[in-house]
This record gives sequence, C-alpha cells and structure tokens, in this order.
Amino acid sequence: MKTDFIRKPLALPKEEWVSDPLAFLGGPSIIPEDVRKTNFPIIAKEDLIQMFISIQQDGEQVVEEFQEAYRKYVGANYAIATASGTSSLHLALVGVGVQPGDEVIVPAFTFIATAQAVVAAKAIPIFVDIDPVTYCLDPTKVERAITSKTKAIMPVHVHGLPADLHALRTIADRYSLRLLEDASHAHSASINGQIAGSIGDGAGQSLMADKNFPVGGEGGIAFFRERADYDRALSFLRSSGIDYRMSWIAAAFGLSQLDRLPYYDAIRARNAAYLTKELEGTKLFSGPFVPEGYNHSYNMYRVKLSPERLGLDDLEDYRVKDAVQQLINQEGVYAREWQNVPIPGHLPFKNRKGFGNGYPFSLSDRQDFGYELHHFPETLKMLRNTLTICRELRTPIEFERIQAYALAFKKIDANPEAIRELATRSSDLTVLYERDARLG
Amino acid sequence: MGETLTKPKTVIQKEHYFSLSFVLSRVLNSGVIMSIERNDQELKGLEKSIAKLTQTRYVSLFNTYTGALHGALWGQDIVHGSVARLGQPSEQERNFLQWLGITLVQDSQVPIAYATVHVSWDNLDQLEPAIKQARASASVLVLDFTALGFGPVAAIAASDELVWKKAERLKIFGAFDLQTMWTQEESEPELQPAVQFNYRLSPLVAACVKLTLLRRNNAS
Repeated sequence: MKTDFIRKPLALPKEEWVSDPLAFLGGPSIIPEDVRKTNFPIIAKEDLIQMFISIQQDGEQVVEEFQEAYRKYVGANYAIATASGTSSLHLALVGVGVQPGDEVIVPAFTFIATAQAVVAAKAIPIFVDIDPVTYCLDPTKVERAITSKTKAIMPVHVHGLPADLHALRTIADRYSLRLLEDASHAHSASINGQIAGSIGDGAGQSLMADKNFPVGGEGGIAFFRERADYDRALSFLRSSGIDYRMSWIAAAFGLSQLDRLPYYDAIRARNAAYLTKELEGTKLFSGPFVPEGYNHSYNMYRVKLSPERLGLDDLEDYRVKDAVQQLINQEGVYAREWQNVPIPGHLPFKNRKGFGNGYPFSLSDRQDFGYELHHFPETLKMLRNTLTICRELRTPIEFERIQAYALAFKKIDANPEAIRELATRSSDLTVLYERDARLG
Repeated sequence: MGETLTKPKTVIQKEHYFSLSFVLSRVLNSGVIMSIERNDQELKGLEKSIAKLTQTRYVSLFNTYTGALHGALWGQDIVHGSVARLGQPSEQERNFLQWLGITLVQDSQVPIAYATVHVSWDNLDQLEPAIKQARASASVLVLDFTALGFGPVAAIAASDELVWKKAERLKIFGAFDLQTMWTQEESEPELQPAVQFNYRLSPLVAACVKLTLLRRNNAS
C-alpha cells in the first residue's frame, strides 16, 4: 500500500553526540538519514470520515460550513473561502476599496503572492524594508513611502509572527488608509489574544499545503471587518466573472483539520520554545524574537547567525551561513534559505509587464518605483545571515526530534574551525540575492 | 459568490460515492498533499489522461474555469490591450475578458482564441466527438470539469509547447517556478513571468477528475 506512515522511530538523543565528529567530516549524523522524514498534515481517521460525509452533501454547503467555522475561530466579521491564498489577498484588496492605479505598501520580504495580489487588484506595490529584529514590515519606514496615491498598507505576519499592527494602524488612521493583513503564515497567531486575520480592515490567508492549517492542496480565505467591504468583494466577483471558489473537497479537509489545529499549534509552540531556549546556550545561533503579548504560530522558524560571537566576523556573513547550512544539513536538520532575493528584485517587478503592455504599472506616473535592492538593506542583511527551518518544525514532531535538532545546532556551534575552513573554501560562492530569484 | 457561476445540475450520484471516497482516501494516505512538489506527482496523472483524451501533447491544469481561460489567452499572447474572438462567449466570459483588458471582436480574420468543452456526468461517454469538434474550431482547448461536482477545475490542452510554457508561467509555482526552486537558475529566461495567479489545482480534486475520466465509458 502506498503510505506516508513513518515506520522507524528516532533513537533517544544523548548530549554526548555534540562531541562526535561532524557528519560532514565522516562522523555520525545527529539524525541518521533513514529517520529524517516528517509528515504534515497528519491525516487521521476523522479526515477520512469527514470526506465520506461531505461527499454526500451539497458542495456549496460544505464550503459554507467550513467558511463559517473558520471565521468564528478567527473572530472575523465576514469571510469568503477561496481557491488560493493569492485570490484571498486579491479579494481583500478589492474589498477594502483598492482601485486601479492605487499604491499599496507591502514589505520587501514576503512570498511573491503578497505583491502579485496587489498587481491582480491592478494596483502598484510599493515595497518597504523590514524591521531587523522581527523581519516584518518596519512601521518606522512606512510613513515616508506614503504618497497621494497610497490606498492601503498590507503587512505580512512573517513566518507566523504578527506584524506591529498597532503602530501600522496609527499610521493608517493618520493618513486615512486601509490596513490589511497578509496572514498566510499566521494561523492562530495573535496579538493580545486577537487572532491574525481579524485585526485589520481586511485580510487574506493562504490555506495551501505548506501552511500550519492546510486544506489539502490550494485554498485560501478572505476576511473583512466591515459589511460594505465584504459586499464590495462579492460584487467584484459578480462583475468580473472570476471564479475564485474553494472546492468542497478542500473545505471538507479543512473542517476536520480545524478541529485539531489548536492541538498542533500547542505542539509547535512547545517545540519552538524548547529550540529557542536551547539556542540561547550557543554563541552562533539565536531563535526568533517574540514581543510581549504576541503569539507566534511558527509556520517557519528562522535562525539568526551571529558569526562575531564565534570569532568568525572576519569572514563574509553569507559564506558563514552557507558553510553552516552544509554542515547542519549533513547532521540531518534541513535548515535552508527561504527566499533569496527581496520581492522587488523578482522578475515580475523588474520587467513590470503586469497584465500585458505594462498594465497596471502604466497607470503610474512614477519614473522610479523604488524597486532596486539597495533600498532594502535590512532585508538583504537578514537574507545573508539567517537560515530557516520550514516543514520540519511545522510538523508536530516528537520531543526527541526537537531535542535532536537542538543538539545538531550545538554540535555546529562547537566546531568554529570547521565552519571557517568551509567558508574559506567557498571562494566562488555568490551572495544569494545575486542569484536568480526562487519563490520559496 | 456561487450565484453568478454555473452550479452543477447533477450532484455526484450515489453509485460513485464509494469509488470517489476510496480515491480521496488513497491520495490522503499517500502523502502527496504535503507539499507543492508532491502535489505535482498526482497532478501529472490527470495531465496525461487529458493529453490522451484530447490527443494533444501539452496540458496545463487550473483550479478554476476562468483560470484556464486566462491561461489559454496568456499562452497565445492575448493580453491586456489585445483583441480576441470567441465562438459563443457566455456572459461570464465576456465579463472576465473585459476585466483582463481584452476586447472581444467578431472579425472572422481573427482566429478563435479557444474552444471549450464543458464536461459533465451527462456527456462523459460522448467526450471524444465533442473534443474532435472543438479542436476543429481552435488550436487551444479549454476543458471545464466543474460540472462534475468536485469544485472548480479546468484544463487547457494544446499541441504548441509555447502555449503550455506561457500558461505555466502565469501560475505561481507553475512548472518553471518549481524548477527554479532547486536550480536557482531560470531555465527559460526569455519567458519571463509577469502578473501571476495561484491557479494550482488540489491533488485531491485532480484524483477525482482522473478517476471519472478513466471510468467515463461506464458512465450514464
């Protein structure tokens, strides 16, 4: 039978593994190759039974049931389930009144869909640099990007940490702008108990395969605070003819997964807290910063490298990062780059073809869209000196696996000379944002 | 949202519950829904089935009918500011093309942009002649499977590789974006992405459509 069942358990980790020779140099891996696999989403009997029930029901009712259940969970006033996260963002933008030629402020560091949704709404994305600590849109830089054409600010809750919506709301209100959330990484994330997706005037959220709350392929949901915005989004669907509907199959899977989302969230939070605490015991590595009152959902876990604390600051930081990546991958922890180029440096924003013949960029009278990479020094710095653990930590992994991850980081931290040698050897390595942009 | 769109006349019939539930369970059990890379393993099966059915070489899947229309047009460089001729455009198609900034014309010198076959449980066993007829009127086919009741799902089929490549470029995480993930190099730099939408199909929906096509001669 074709199955994703993982048959082999991990050995219980031992502290002395940190002293073993590095796997890169022929020593034993902290996590041997045959036990590296993790699964997510977890498919339970409840998922199958829900599917058996839903197949007998009217598809639209299944989607509506899901939409209502998740809207209530998030605490939003209105919701529209969609076929993808991109379409949910598009609807959220149109719903809050973004019109062709308007400008929308988005962070330079995000997934490309944030900015493509702005183009889909026939508006112009204006990119702003990130906060060097949270990696979310930096409110202190937003104000100077506002022009008479600005209609909305759409921060992204990067990796699951909510952006500083309080500061951004203050700016939005000062300039009479709409505040949207790209909550695609931030299922169940919250600020002072208020769940991401319910805080802005509107929000879009992906429910695709790589998310904490996936619906079995592609899916998304748009949220609205005001009835008028929700109605505007529905009216847009009618007038444009666009079919953004979610499949009932995705909705059925979402219904059964939603029931277990708090359980998976709790395990992710437990694992992330453990790893962050363990990294505090290393010199080279540190985990994500989470402000007081914020709940991080850890769709991804970004590890910051501080080469100076290990006497490696004479080396280029991106070379140190690359060396660490090679070493830790060999230990069985798949820490990697997630994004290598700020979004304004991706081809669709370099060529600005849009829908064809430059539309909607042609609506702008700007000579300079501000898309050159030098405008985003904090994003570039972050890309050079961080590594990301993606689905391996999103999965509600066993406690022994998170212990093993921590040991792998400690083992690398204990071998600065190996890092130095590898970083020095990689003389032909180019800085990551000079390579072709990849989406994830 | 559903009120503006075609609602399937027939829901899934009872006699199909078991086979469809079984295929959904199989896909859920296989691990393919875990990531976009694994999703692709399931989607390729449906692409092959459609290529065989339509006798075309290139098939691109979409999670909506309008997504497939967009792919068919974009694949032929019919973009914002272009004109297009359609056979008998529905109100939804007229609205959608207007939203894309494409002007509909009736000039017979302009080739028909695409021909559509709407697949339902009622015409499953008569698909070949319907496809043959459609192929005679346009080089790009749009197959709309939405009426089967699995949710919005459609495909384009063409013999011109360039149409397929451009349609894939329209999709976030289409074939070329996935390649760049691993190679860090654009494999087709001359085919640059522009606006992109997430038109990727769920492997669960794809598996249901594939099973239905495989068993189409037992339908009705």
